Amino acid sequence: MHWIAVQRAPEAGGGSGVVAGDAPALVDVDQALDWWALQFTPLVARVEGSLVLEVSGSERLFGGRAALLQRLFESDAPTVTLRHAQGATSLLALARLWAQTPDASLNALPLQALAAARVHLPTLMRLGCSNWGQLRALPRAGLARRFGAGLVDALDRAYGVRPELYPWLTLPDVFDAPLELSAAVESAPALLFGARRLLAQLLVWLRARQRGVLALELLWELDARRSNALHVDAHHLGSGQGRLELRTAQATQDMQHLQRLLGEQLAQVILPAPVLYLRLRSLQTQTLAGESHSLLPEDQRQGDSLHQMLERLGARLGPEHILCVQPQADHRPEAMQTWSPWKPQPAVQASAGEMSEQAALLPTWLLELPQPLAVQGQCPQYHGPLTLLAGPQRLESGWLEATVLRDYFIARSEHAGLVWIYRERLDQNPHWYLHGLYA
Amino acid sequence: MPALASRSFVDVHDIHADVWHAHALSHAALPVIATGDATLDAQLPGGGWPIGALIEIVQPPGVHSEWRLLLPALAQSGHGPVVLVGAPHLPFAPALAAQGLAAQRLLWVRTPVAAARLWACEQALRCADVNAVLAWLPQARSDQLRRLQMAATEYRKLLFVMRPAQSQADASPAALRLQLQPQTATQHTDAADIADGLELQLLKRRGPPLDQSVYLQARAGPMKLLMAAAHALDCSTARA
Repeated sequence: MHWIAVQRAPEAGGGSGVVAGDAPALVDVDQALDWWALQFTPLVARVEGSLVLEVSGSERLFGGRAALLQRLFESDAPTVTLRHAQGATSLLALARLWAQTPDASLNALPLQALAAARVHLPTLMRLGCSNWGQLRALPRAGLARRFGAGLVDALDRAYGVRPELYPWLTLPDVFDAPLELSAAVESAPALLFGARRLLAQLLVWLRARQRGVLALELLWELDARRSNALHVDAHHLGSGQGRLELRTAQATQDMQHLQRLLGEQLAQVILPAPVLYLRLRSLQTQTLAGESHSLLPEDQRQGDSLHQMLERLGARLGPEHILCVQPQADHRPEAMQTWSPWKPQPAVQASAGEMSEQAALLPTWLLELPQPLAVQGQCPQYHGPLTLLAGPQRLESGWLEATVLRDYFIARSEHAGLVWIYRERLDQNPHWYLHGLYA
Repeated sequence: MPALASRSFVDVHDIHADVWHAHALSHAALPVIATGDATLDAQLPGGGWPIGALIEIVQPPGVHSEWRLLLPALAQSGHGPVVLVGAPHLPFAPALAAQGLAAQRLLWVRTPVAAARLWACEQALRCADVNAVLAWLPQARSDQLRRLQMAATEYRKLLFVMRPAQSQADASPAALRLQLQPQTATQHTDAADIADGLELQLLKRRGPPLDQSVYLQARAGPMKLLMAAAHALDCSTARA
């Protein structure tokens, strides 16, 4: 058994005890500390404001006690300053921590450092007991009769005679953290500052659970004293609460990316009343597989990944403006492809094999709506007169919807190059339309 | 004196990759991708489109011949997405796929707002997976283009910016600037070429200015066959 007791160092300036730096302040430092400790061992308990960790079970995993301690307090250290002490039992470690004597021997520890002895301290002092060794030397039965079984039990546990059991801490399955804002926030983008602190807390939780977030929601509570707190729009349901849902295509621990997405989304929210409370909740998370990095520097690509870029574009411009194409089997040119908003899961790739022979003769630009062409004499005009080069290619299709009967021609304009035009067939007075450009 | 001159002569290539003789093309420090046309390759520094530099294409109104020029390079640029920012018409995916640019690589950012286009462009350049960015930026200013040029250099992306003809007089930070227009009938060589030729003027390149235009040959494949057949038919009817 090897126990480590950890406590936040008392702050000098009375602040939140957070080391100044770029990292945003955590919402609940104690909770974050609990979650951080759970990365190293499942046996973590909170005793009178301090944390105790039993690490003998996980020493081998981290490569020995020295390596584990180094990880604990150097490489993976949280943003708060910590004090710690070690010992063979949790009470010993705690006593060394509280007495600030990391190397004191068991018998020499002062009685104040034993929680169970504190209430009896004046009596024990009058008996001439000031340290653990002297207390242990007293007759056991008499001690139990005079001070209760609790003190004897505690002494046994401190000396490692009896096993130590605590209500062990566990990680919650769902991240759900509230935050009371220090001042009422009037504009939605300013909520981001509070949200950043919640995201920092989320990161601790995600790291401890080794998961990535797929969807989360930010909830805020409107000031109920305002008359328009019951306003209804896309983000407010009229119950005095607002809600914003954030989804990513790939599970992520990248808080920078989430923060940017949240910023873009919040920029579009209009708050009907000031906000006093924020809450962040994870909706969907996924186990995060490890990433393999290349040894060679040239394999490491610069920039962010495609889904991050597309999510950012979608968040600012609206997802309906980010389009990808789906080829369709149809003979009408306007129905050969559909441009639809990009989705995280790419659709099944259509085989382009059999179409390609004919498709090589299609123009590379298609006009969204065919443009009617003026006719001079017999000759259609587009940036000057058009010379018909090839055609007609006859198209009869779409009899279920609007029947299409067209003769397509490839024509050449002196100034605009090759164009794709058609003439409505079965029309008394045939009109010419421009439908594509050979770029 | 001649001896002294020959001794003090320094090979410019030893100084820096960005220093070159005014009468010769720059030895490109940038990687290039072949344009698919040997005549054009010969006129470009490094022998192709530079990767990681802004390439500006100026076209007269109503002309949108960019696909024709860029498709061979885009087809062999990789398998990642090709981002189109603010295309003037619908890109016709079946035709593009037939010429080597797979439909699933196309990604179209469709927004009429000029500032949003610039922003989207820069975001696309920053993305590691994107192969090339094609942007239609009629209103962009020179400083905004410079920003894109720097992003393209930093993230080493193929970047083509299409601009209208009236922007030709403006200063541009582009490493390569060309003007495109359909070939007019006066300089014909071959009947098929008149119908489908493309005239290219290099407005700016890292090398000596080029006075005469470069003519791109008629496109290959079924289109050329069709043109030739149509022409032959035309001639025979005219003779008859």
